[in-house]
Amino acid sequence: MVIQQHTITTTQKYNFPHPTIDTTLPQRLIQLSLQTLTHTPSISMQLNQQPCNIESHSLQLKPQPILLKPKHTPTIVAAVDTSNIKIGETATGILIAIRGANIWKQNHIYRYIRLGPFIFHTTEENKKQLYTTLQKAYLNTTHMQTTPTLQQMPNRIANLLEKWLQTMLTKTINNGLILFDGSLTSGTPDTPTLHMRETLQTARKHNNTILAFSKMTNLRFNGHLITDIYPKHTPPYLIEAIGLKPKPPITLCGDIYVARLTKSNCAFRLDIDKELSPQQKTEAVEKLLGNDIITQSYPETLRLAHILCTFTANEVIAMQHYIQRKHRLRLINRPDMHKLLFGPFGKGETNQ
Amino acid sequence: MKLYKKEGNIIQILSFPSETTEKGDYLLIEDTDAQKALIVQVIDTQFASIPGILEELLRSLPDGGQPIQGEDLDPLEIAPHITYIQDASLLICKIRATIENNSLNPSTSWLPSRSQSTVRKLSIPALTKLAKTDGKLPIQLGATKDASLLTIDASSLDGRLNIITGKKETGKSHLSKLLMLNLITYKATVVVFDLNGEYQSLGYTSDGKRNAYHDKIHVLTPSQNFKAALKQLNLHVLLEILTHALHLPGTSAREFRRIWRSLKERDMLNLHELGEAIRNWHCNQHVRDALFSRYHALVNSGFFTDSISEATLLEESLLKAKQQGGAIIINLRNTSPIDRQIVVEYLLAKLVGLLTSDRLKAIFLFAEEAHLYLRETYWDDIVTRMRHFGIFTTFVTNQPDTIRENIYRQADNIFLFNFTNEHDLEVVSRAARVDAETVKSIARDLPPHHCLTLGKVVRDFPMVIKVKALDVKTMGETRLFFKDVN
Repeated sequence: MVIQQHTITTTQKYNFPHPTIDTTLPQRLIQLSLQTLTHTPSISMQLNQQPCNIESHSLQLKPQPILLKPKHTPTIVAAVDTSNIKIGETATGILIAIRGANIWKQNHIYRYIRLGPFIFHTTEENKKQLYTTLQKAYLNTTHMQTTPTLQQMPNRIANLLEKWLQTMLTKTINNGLILFDGSLTSGTPDTPTLHMRETLQTARKHNNTILAFSKMTNLRFNGHLITDIYPKHTPPYLIEAIGLKPKPPITLCGDIYVARLTKSNCAFRLDIDKELSPQQKTEAVEKLLGNDIITQSYPETLRLAHILCTFTANEVIAMQHYIQRKHRLRLINRPDMHKLLFGPFGKGETNQ
Repeated sequence: MKLYKKEGNIIQILSFPSETTEKGDYLLIEDTDAQKALIVQVIDTQFASIPGILEELLRSLPDGGQPIQGEDLDPLEIAPHITYIQDASLLICKIRATIENNSLNPSTSWLPSRSQSTVRKLSIPALTKLAKTDGKLPIQLGATKDASLLTIDASSLDGRLNIITGKKETGKSHLSKLLMLNLITYKATVVVFDLNGEYQSLGYTSDGKRNAYHDKIHVLTPSQNFKAALKQLNLHVLLEILTHALHLPGTSAREFRRIWRSLKERDMLNLHELGEAIRNWHCNQHVRDALFSRYHALVNSGFFTDSISEATLLEESLLKAKQQGGAIIINLRNTSPIDRQIVVEYLLAKLVGLLTSDRLKAIFLFAEEAHLYLRETYWDDIVTRMRHFGIFTTFVTNQPDTIRENIYRQADNIFLFNFTNEHDLEVVSRAARVDAETVKSIARDLPPHHCLTLGKVVRDFPMVIKVKALDVKTMGETRLFFKDVN
């Protein structure tokens, strides 16, 4: 059987100069996607959950916040996000879809490139090969600490795509701000420290600053979540968190801040590249304030990246339609045992 | 297409973009296991309620109303599938009949299988064949949307009450002419109350030559070639005219009856003697004045004559039409409202007289904007009493609220052109032979010259047709001021 090869030329569409781009990953994604769908007769997942291997009892917040003033120096603001969803079950495995989006704001106009959806049929049999091949395509290594479970596969594959999209941005943008969804914590199964450092290094080489926004954090100070602490200052400001000691192999590649960028109640954990000087870090956030719309302390570019890659219900139906029409894969409607047993008192297996 | 839901006699069908179905189309839902099929008609099309569609629309406009510029790299080509799902539509259909053992049955008491039933389009020729709408006296009404011709049987107009309605300039008179000409082809006698003088030239082709109907079209213009001789007039007809058209009070009417009888006994019934008798009659001055004013109204109408030879054309035309079929066009164009009522009262009484004496078989009466000349009490008369004498009326109007609700309830056939006004549609939807949803939904979207045909002519299968063109000289066009400019 011949596997169709699609040529991906994503980077040629960017408006800024870029070097030769490695397109191995998307090609592998398409290849493997079709392969997994051919070789066999919902819930959105949130990526970048904070790892718990961090001792936060030593965490301190600097009492004096860093007050910020928007800097209107024209700067590209770019963001990356990916999304994954389980679109069904087959007799032997699960069908998952992933999609990623790069969005950037330049000259007051937002533009995007959306990659996907890629659909994979992951089974107990093919999950190892699937993940190894993708890992090799992106990380150039087949070393795997542990084989992901079938349920972890959507996150893991989406994570690889996200990492690739992040790398593409760091290579193609110059003098810009690159927003990541999540943190700059590395040493986790899906974020090797070496690659995180490489990404940050590439970004620095192109004079870019990476700002990683976490929507959720477990870090606490005096028993309170760091994002729930309100100093008597008028936003926008940053509060630096110090004294955090992660357990090996977890590594913090960024300095951690609480960012309250608007007068709303919302605040986010913000990780900024450790290697940058305090002045560079502050300036980066000030440029973000001056170049992007900030609503509820969250940058619009990152919000749009999330919105654009999220799967809507009709897209899930369309993908199910595609799978059934094009690949003749039969989806199984497994009864929800909670609903079946407990009727209206059963919240459903997905909402336990 | 997939059967989705049934509520009452409404069926909802899920349709995909590749399946082009529009309002008015018929669908066949076949359940092979049950060996039955439902005939349903699409009365509305809606977007299918696809989950997540709002999010989809919202995210395409996140930048202050301007779509974000960008590119989707979709190597698996899933986007067409997304569009396919997003553009799915829901067809709201009305159940019209059940096919069982190759025969039609109005029953809708069974439910076809949702998973096993197949849904397909039912062509109009196939439907008309099933419904047997065409008979021995075919009238081609026009073309349906799938370019097939819709033929009705002239006998389905026989003994029926018909209404042709729609807003102006949609083609009502055109259809009325088409029906009329086809009826006279089958030797029917037709009488037309022609309010705007637009039926006069039906005997000529559009380029002014005589056509096949020329000898069958008899145009009678009141006071010109259409008059009534006083001697031939029945007292009750004249009293009807005096009381209803000229609003003569009861006391005066009693005196008039005495005067009339006195003149008749002396064989002195003529206009001059009638005037003299009123002048010299011993009665109250007010009564005399009342009678005089009505007398002058009768004389001034020019419709009444003392000469019997001047008043024979109507009867001659009717009898001629009885032999070979024909249309008597009563040209009311330049007739004043009161004279119009006088003429109509006289004509209807005359027709009833001829029909009761069996001198006429039956007639088809076409009444345009009847509210302008038909008195209130005549409406019920026409649809009930006169129908038994053999007067089968077709009302043509652009003001449906001028026709009483009970007329709609008794209407056998309705030819409905476009209406956008809710009130007008509400009025028409009171007709017994149609459901309000069909009328309101389909009539609103009808293009000009397209008509929703309802009732016995289509065996209660509402059908949309584009009315056939006629090669006759049209006189109903509106005279325009800026015609030359355009």
